[in-house]
Amino acid sequence: MIIIGERINGMFKDIGDGLRNKDPKPLQQWALTQQEGGAHYLDVNSGPAVPTEERPQAYEWMVKVIQEVSELPLCLDSTNYNAIEAGLKLCKRPAMINSVPAERPKIERVFPMAVQYNASVIGLTMDKKGIPKDSENRLAFAMELVAAADEFGLPMEDLFIDPLILPVNVAQEHAPEVLKSLQMIKTLSNPAPRTVLGLSNVSQKSPDRHLINRTYMAMAMACGLDAAIMDANDDDLVDVAATAEILLNNSIYADSYLKVFRQR
Amino acid sequence: MGLTGLEIYKQLPKKNCGECGTPTCLAFAMALAAGKGALETCPYVTDEARENLASASAPPIKAIKFGNESVLGDETVLFRHDKTFYHPTTLLIKVSDKLTDSEIEAKVQEIEGLEFDRVGLHYSIDGIAVVNESSDQDRFSQVVEKVASATSRSLMVLSENPDALKAAVPGIASRKPLIGPATFENYEAVVNFAKEQKVPVILKADGLDALNELVESAQKLGYKEFVLDPGSRSTSQTLANLTHLRRLAIKKKYRPFGYPVIAFTGKNEPLDEIAEASVYVAKYASAIVLKTSIKAHILPLMALRQNLYTDPQKPIQVEPTLHVIGDVNENSPVYVTTNFSLTYYSVEGEVESSKIPSYILPIDTDGTSVLTAYAAGKFEPEKIADALAASGVAEKVNHRNLIIPGAVAVISGKLQEKSSWKVVVGPRESSGIISFVRTMQG
Repeated sequence: MIIIGERINGMFKDIGDGLRNKDPKPLQQWALTQQEGGAHYLDVNSGPAVPTEERPQAYEWMVKVIQEVSELPLCLDSTNYNAIEAGLKLCKRPAMINSVPAERPKIERVFPMAVQYNASVIGLTMDKKGIPKDSENRLAFAMELVAAADEFGLPMEDLFIDPLILPVNVAQEHAPEVLKSLQMIKTLSNPAPRTVLGLSNVSQKSPDRHLINRTYMAMAMACGLDAAIMDANDDDLVDVAATAEILLNNSIYADSYLKVFRQR
Repeated sequence: MGLTGLEIYKQLPKKNCGECGTPTCLAFAMALAAGKGALETCPYVTDEARENLASASAPPIKAIKFGNESVLGDETVLFRHDKTFYHPTTLLIKVSDKLTDSEIEAKVQEIEGLEFDRVGLHYSIDGIAVVNESSDQDRFSQVVEKVASATSRSLMVLSENPDALKAAVPGIASRKPLIGPATFENYEAVVNFAKEQKVPVILKADGLDALNELVESAQKLGYKEFVLDPGSRSTSQTLANLTHLRRLAIKKKYRPFGYPVIAFTGKNEPLDEIAEASVYVAKYASAIVLKTSIKAHILPLMALRQNLYTDPQKPIQVEPTLHVIGDVNENSPVYVTTNFSLTYYSVEGEVESSKIPSYILPIDTDGTSVLTAYAAGKFEPEKIADALAASGVAEKVNHRNLIIPGAVAVISGKLQEKSSWKVVVGPRESSGIISFVRTMQG
């Protein structure tokens, strides 16, 4: 299970302030905190804290200051592909691009860029019209992304398909469809593409968010989930990731498996 | 094995004409992968694409059968713990046609003697490879005939000269020998001959690129009973080739390499040769041609082969008969345990190091351990009493003391009643046997 720490996001007040004041401290602090929690990647998102035209410089700055304190690879999160490209140029380790929908012009912009910078791509199972409700249509978009990876020469294991989970309180019927999609995505090609979820979305505005998150994570891992953008400092959640790895026979069991999982 | 959507899509014309009833080729590919459509509804699929799709759904490595029930290939994994290896490596001994008649007789006789009984299993050598090393094609035919009449084992007939093969093979074609090698120089003649005789044929080329080209050329002759030889004769290069061939066939479904692979040992010193052959047994060779035929050299290789090709899912069992440890007498202690090999050998090891000659009776518990068998009702007093009576140990000892595992002390009363032996509860762990038996005897 690849844990992508979600916390460096301009939507959070401390990160937003850091971005506005060019103060690297909150970004660096969260980089280290998430690394200790068990994150394998750090998601980096300026959010609306930076005006569109300044985003490329902002991503350069974020990549630079985070890499001063952490060796973790980065997951550059933006719809502004110029900002992502500016960040990619400075990444010391192969990064992840978050994200591209199954729309041809965006695919043509992002996939060659990913190949050029040896980056992974998160592909969303949606197009301009939005998020499909059933797994069949999610899968059709996933297939477009798989065919694109083949076309542009992106290794299939560098394609992370996100079947897009929605909050369970307002879009409950999506949750099982996403689980079905995760299973079927693994049959699209051989080797199969990998899968990712923006996990915290499932519990937006619900009480007991942590319980919902970790329950869904275990279910999704059973369906083939490889990565999640999530709260890397929710210890119970990381414990579930570690435990599910054991129960799926992905890691060899040891009594100390919770500790071992965090040491990787 | 189903095809993935991407594999199907790559074979479609990508016209997005919608004539199949699906809006795009991509959607059609997904429908096919899900089993919801038929390829026939697309009018633009080429015969080549159809063939590619058909072969992509075939098993990754073709099964090639020859000789006396020798099966090569038909494997599905790279590591035995992922499932199991199915068809144990076929071992053949080389006989050169340069040998004199009496040398050939002696060699074949030695090969025929390669039968072993060990720990309840029987091992035997699979066959003989007659190699045309004299440049005399009449002599080659004679030797093939001579060897064939002296053995009923599988035969391999090897000559780079197609005429020599054509002279030697027809007489023994009913025994379905594996012939070859077909190389770039002779492949049309050799493969066509193999096709006519309905026998499998070895394709030999130097390195994987050349082998790939040779397989594709040979397939065009309309025959597919192939065994591959990547030409290398050094251990490291052969190991690399065997690994690449197996990986490409299974992981990438690379069809030209979807055939079993044969290895030839290069080392001349027999001990080195057996070490080399051990590497090939472990790493995917479907057949190996050896030079040495001395019992002491072949036995460890066969034991390794048997070991590697056991099914890791199934527990390994020992024979559920009375086992004798050391120079037993009428006072020797009698132990009872289960026939799970891990359990049995733990007990045997301790009994051996106690230096007290003993009898051990493993009960047939389908290869499960003491507690597993007990919990599953396979280690019950009635069954143990019956096995004890059937073993005949009562006639061999003049005492009636039976030592049982400490973990099943609870069965002692009932067992004593059923067997009329005095049941002695041993230690819970076999590591306690030494001190236990000394106390008992002292």
